[in-house]
Amino acid sequence: MDSGENKRAVWVGLFISIGVVILIIAIFTLGNQQKSFVKGLHLKARFSNVSGLIKGNNVWFSGVKVGTVKNIAFTGINQVDVEFNVDPNVQQFIHQNALATIGSEGFIGNKTINIEGGTPDAPVIKDGTMLNSKGMLSTDDIMKTLQKNNENLLSITSDFKTLSKDMVQGKGLAGALLSDSSLAMRFRAVVANLQTTTSSTNQMAIELNRFGRKMNTKGGLADKMLTDTAVFAKLQQSANQLQDATAKASTLTDNLNRASSKLNTTDNAIGVLLNDQPTATQLKSTLDYLNQSSIKLNDDLEAAQHNFLLRGFFKKREKEQQKAQQAPKQ
Amino acid sequence: MDTQNSTSTATVKSKSSLKSSLANFFSDVYDVYRFIVRFFKEAFVPPYEFQELLKQCYEVGVRSLLLISVTGFIVGLIFTKQSRPSLLQFGATSWIPSLVSIAIMRALAPLVTALISAGRVGSSIGAELGSMRVTEQIDAMEVSGTKPFKYLVCIRVLATTIAIPVLAIFNGLVSMLGGYLNVAVNEGTSFSTYVQQFFQPLAFIDFESSIIKSMVFGFTIGIVGTYKGWNSSSGTAGVGKAANSAVVTAMFLVFIEEVIIVQITGWFR
Repeated sequence: MDSGENKRAVWVGLFISIGVVILIIAIFTLGNQQKSFVKGLHLKARFSNVSGLIKGNNVWFSGVKVGTVKNIAFTGINQVDVEFNVDPNVQQFIHQNALATIGSEGFIGNKTINIEGGTPDAPVIKDGTMLNSKGMLSTDDIMKTLQKNNENLLSITSDFKTLSKDMVQGKGLAGALLSDSSLAMRFRAVVANLQTTTSSTNQMAIELNRFGRKMNTKGGLADKMLTDTAVFAKLQQSANQLQDATAKASTLTDNLNRASSKLNTTDNAIGVLLNDQPTATQLKSTLDYLNQSSIKLNDDLEAAQHNFLLRGFFKKREKEQQKAQQAPKQ
Repeated sequence: MDTQNSTSTATVKSKSSLKSSLANFFSDVYDVYRFIVRFFKEAFVPPYEFQELLKQCYEVGVRSLLLISVTGFIVGLIFTKQSRPSLLQFGATSWIPSLVSIAIMRALAPLVTALISAGRVGSSIGAELGSMRVTEQIDAMEVSGTKPFKYLVCIRVLATTIAIPVLAIFNGLVSMLGGYLNVAVNEGTSFSTYVQQFFQPLAFIDFESSIIKSMVFGFTIGIVGTYKGWNSSSGTAGVGKAANSAVVTAMFLVFIEEVIIVQITGWFR
């Protein structure tokens, strides 16, 4: 074998060796990713629908890939048993009451088995454990819901179509607003009034605000009322006095009420005077008689003054009165 | 009357030509079958020509490595680049490594390697053996007691069957790197993440089918090249014809085999 052939042999050997090494690395990389060279725990789960899960799909536990699906087989009507391997390193974290569900690596990604839940009170999984399973929301279910939404949307648009048609034809309040110009004008006026009212309310709010600020002014009445305890005490005292006065007024009113009620009765003098018509008539005639009697008495007294027995007395008093009037003039 | 006669004569000639073509085709098929059977009969019995096998492996494998690597790199880069807009529409550019890996490992690496090898190696083998046939070197070898079929045909077919799968592995690796260049530039993905995503959708059957496919392609290229060269005739023109025919036939058969193997692999997947 000459040196040329030797060199060629080395190159070919290197070429094939590197190729084989690349292949081996690729196989190991793939095997490592798929946990193919790890003797895993065999677990099972029974589903009614595996939604397209196939052998080799990944098994996830808390978002970490822990194994792959090894076998899928029918075991009865609506019963599909899925066998999958799980890395023994995670055995201590998966309990027998954990749930296996069918998931997806993305919206259109590969299907996966997701192991979720599990509580420490249950024992950890063993080789051959059958996990409880839970069905997933399939694409068909989503499509059914979507179809229902579409029907609702169709119904809504149909209603809206009818509504808009009625509005265009001027039916209903909204239609009248759109088609009846006078109503629209009134509505506009209402809106204008509303705007004015809003403006006034706004103004009032400003005034109230200002008033509030004034009330809060230091030294003002309101401020004193709110902050000065002496003023408050005086006010309280005044209020108490006012309350007493009110009570007395109330009593007075009651008395007056009672008195006025007595005035309406005829069992007392004033009540008789006010209410008894015959007595009033009688009293009136009595007064008439008294008047006539007094006139006659006056005449009699006039006559008595001119009597000789009494005439001297009256003349004497007249003279004294004249003297008394003249004395200050002198 | 003359026209009718000439028409019927042309029809008869055409039918005769068709029959003759079909006969030639089936005759060729039988010749190929015998050629392949002879290969299996002689390839695995002593004496073993290791030195010649080494030389042919060097010619087929090592000397094609650069060409295959450059081609693979460009294929990986371009495939990734062209796949990007479609995936970008879904916002799924993170799927590019997975897409590229499936395309490369399942199809492109063996196919591109086979096509390049068919062009480079198949034509070379066809031309070499064709020239040996027309210059009667093969006849001389037979007369001298050397077994030219074993020495010329079996060794070359074995060399292509061994070297082309290795070339396909190199091609796959370099294509992966080409894809990574594009992904790294656009997404800034780290190499380890890329490799992880690259291998994620693959299964062992992808490697197995690719290696077996490459071996079949290599065998086909070797058989077609040697058959065309071995059976070449018509002087120096036959050499060129043999080389050309070897390339065209090998490429055509590679595609046919690709379809069949993909179908068979699908049954086991």
